[in-house]
Amino acid sequence: MAALTGEMSWFCCGSSWGPCATVGHGACGTCNSGNRQHAWPNTSDACFSITRPDRCGISGMSRRGCGFQHTTTNRCNGKSVTTSIADCGPQTDLFCGERACCGGVCGTNRVIDLTPAAYSLIASLSSGLQPCTITA
Amino acid sequence: MTDNTLDRRRLLTSAVVGGAGLVAASALGSLAPEAAFAAPQTIDAGAPDPNFAEGRITGIAAGMLYVTGSDTALHRIRITNATSVWKLIPTGIDAAAVGDGLYARGLRMDDGTLAADAVWINIVNLQAHIVAIGKNQLHLDHKGKRIVGHVVPGRSAVSYNNTPAVTDMSMLKVGRHVQVIGAWVPDTNEVQIATVYAGTHSH
Repeated sequence: MAALTGEMSWFCCGSSWGPCATVGHGACGTCNSGNRQHAWPNTSDACFSITRPDRCGISGMSRRGCGFQHTTTNRCNGKSVTTSIADCGPQTDLFCGERACCGGVCGTNRVIDLTPAAYSLIASLSSGLQPCTITA
Repeated sequence: MTDNTLDRRRLLTSAVVGGAGLVAASALGSLAPEAAFAAPQTIDAGAPDPNFAEGRITGIAAGMLYVTGSDTALHRIRITNATSVWKLIPTGIDAAAVGDGLYARGLRMDDGTLAADAVWINIVNLQAHIVAIGKNQLHLDHKGKRIVGHVVPGRSAVSYNNTPAVTDMSMLKVGRHVQVIGAWVPDTNEVQIATVYAGTHSH
């Protein structure tokens, strides 16, 4: 897969508290907020039919299954983390055209959600949304 | 484990021992909430991160948060004056309360404590759609469950597709998909809104 640029955010999964208390372990059954994992919009036909990155004009998003590893780089600071797929998401088509920027660097469209453990390694959880580059 | 990690551990150990007089772990990296990162690691993708903790606070004493993880693991999280703390706003450890949820990132010390670079108390990141709008409230549907989001004057803001965040939420409409960064309120199970990212589609 060629490097994919876009936006990254974070999500909770597994045992947790508050609104996250009932979210479960994700589509792969392995997801935990404290693990270095991520959600990917194209894990299966069923997943793709929900996330629909194609509706945002995204092409080249490879079909990858549970456990496949991607490396995500925060384009605001150059920090990277390698994670494995544990869930389907984000729902890209709900935010088509959305941009996240820092300085002059921007990412368009939501292409990956990281667990809190992974996201907090390369960005602050309170930032919520950051431009990123993803490589396989 | 990298030399950098070892250096950080030595520094944080001295910081813990030194108490209030510590030099600050920021000597090896910023400790601001937006830039509190751990050193490079060799942790496998998919594996639990030993330098991260999640759970609810069960006790607070002498710069230490006692936390029970949602998986029942017990954590001792060391707070120094170099630790950044977020609870709706950047704040201090005095804002923490027993019963709060948290995520913490730092460095696991030899004695098992997590020397925290950053602690996010009660932070939530909701993917939801708006089902009703009230006075200073957004009623959200998050994975089929209703959550009340409270607008906090002087804090809550909304970003409409990468526009700079503004306090005016009047452009939010019922049905709009949103992402909400906020602080969960344990007593009510409601949320105080920090930032709303307004989606481009409606439900």
